[in-house]
Amino acid sequence: MSLDLSKIISQVEGLAAKLQRDASLREERLALAIRTLSSTDLESLRAKAKASEGKVTWLVAGLGDGLDLHFSPQELPTNYSVVATDGSHIDVDRHMPPPCYVINIGGVVLRYGESPACHLLSEPTLYAQENDLFLKDPRSNHTQAIEGALLGIKRTVKECEMLGELLKEAPHDLPTLALLDGSLILWGLSGKEYQDFVKQEFLEKGLLKAMEAIKETDHAHGLALASYISFPRNTDVVNCLRLSLCPYEPVADCDRFCGEKAHGQRECDGVSGLTDRDILQEILKAGERSAVFANQSSIVREHYGDNWIHFFYLNVGDELARVEFPGWVEERPELVELLHSLTLEQCHKGQGYPVSLMEAHEKAVISTQDRALFTQMLEHALAGRRIPAVTSAKSNSKRIRWT
Amino acid sequence: MKTGEGELDILAIVHNASTRSIDPTRRPIARGEGELSEEDVFARNPQLEKLLRTEFQALVVGYVRDGAHRFYLPPRPARLHAFVYLCEPEEIQEFSRSLDFLSILTTSRIASGDELVSACLRLASEAQPDKEAFLVTAGKELSLLLGREPQRLNAILRRLRT
Repeated sequence: MSLDLSKIISQVEGLAAKLQRDASLREERLALAIRTLSSTDLESLRAKAKASEGKVTWLVAGLGDGLDLHFSPQELPTNYSVVATDGSHIDVDRHMPPPCYVINIGGVVLRYGESPACHLLSEPTLYAQENDLFLKDPRSNHTQAIEGALLGIKRTVKECEMLGELLKEAPHDLPTLALLDGSLILWGLSGKEYQDFVKQEFLEKGLLKAMEAIKETDHAHGLALASYISFPRNTDVVNCLRLSLCPYEPVADCDRFCGEKAHGQRECDGVSGLTDRDILQEILKAGERSAVFANQSSIVREHYGDNWIHFFYLNVGDELARVEFPGWVEERPELVELLHSLTLEQCHKGQGYPVSLMEAHEKAVISTQDRALFTQMLEHALAGRRIPAVTSAKSNSKRIRWT
Repeated sequence: MKTGEGELDILAIVHNASTRSIDPTRRPIARGEGELSEEDVFARNPQLEKLLRTEFQALVVGYVRDGAHRFYLPPRPARLHAFVYLCEPEEIQEFSRSLDFLSILTTSRIASGDELVSACLRLASEAQPDKEAFLVTAGKELSLLLGREPQRLNAILRRLRT
């Protein structure tokens, strides 16, 4: 045991005490947020948001019908289908030869109603070719190693591609919910960390292409694609309230008016520290969803097109989840309603989390034991062909652990 | 039950059955709130069929080769993927012509072994033309095997009444 619990316990107590001290401040902020939510004039806020585009430092949600609206679920269809995928991976280990990684995608096709059925599967793939490990810019000699966070992004793309494949097999004559875990926005690709050819590969040729293929799947009775985020920490809606609280008219310009003010001193800091979940929890009853909002992040605006990400919050009983979906679902109210009722039912069946995602995760997850067996399998395969498997001294020292 | 291997049918008595999660780290939870029947639980959760497994354990009590019954261990165990079948009443009747299998049951160390002895005899008696005579013969056989353990013998005999 190298973590000295006796030394950390006082720090843990300190954290708990701070949260207790902050509780009343948080209550005040929450009350202000709720008041602002119901008193904000939607049209003026919309106008101010438009006028302030590019000038506010917060990611403000695109407004739909309202801020504090809440909707009850519609009745479930008698027969329907739910398809979900999730993934897990073994990252490149630079201490182990040869360089390679594994992506394991778990999937589930569930059919509910008069002919209930279930198909579970997992599809592992080993990537070890040069073009698997490095992405090359066709226009220059730049390369980008696919590992770490970028491998996580590639995995999301593979999850969506597999979802598309499973939808081809799923019954086409039933209303269908296609679910992914986590966000449909590849946040990791926003900003300047990755060059355009990387974004091109994983967005245009990757996730967006896969989403487009799902859109084109022939589903006569409606197909709603969405991703499910448990315990979300987004603040898109809270940032609408910041804009509403901002006293500077008609344009909110953060750098110009508040650039020199300290954090906590700005007028909009009255709702600081709150998440969308905190405030909507007060409004949405169990089973209800919020209004639909649009994500206004630069990555979505610049790349997503028809797949423009929209979202609503859903009170599933145990928690408030965020459900994200593309513009082509948002355009059809009946699909939004289907998404609402089927996602909620999935959560009821899964004790608070969609049962389809839970089972897809179970098929995808790579346990510590499986990881060790994979390494062993790799070493045996090399040894069988008399290929030396030279590992790093650091790796050896961690594996052997001598005294 | 029996394995249907043709040249050698191994006979065994099921003594335990349990349904559990295929993944031992995932415990089944209570279900059925708001459902009308157990079938509804499965119909509304179609994944359960894929996640649960029922295991049976059976005690081998003999085998049949060339039509002849033997009441001791077969020359080899059942094949790994041998199919198993429930014995028909005629096969049970044929098998219980001899009560030699009782010594295997009474000396086995399985949990609730004595319950198994009486349950097995009750079931076998249903396949006999004269149920009462069969149970009397079985009781006599048991008294020979368990003569030195009167309490055990009584407990089994009391459970022979159907």
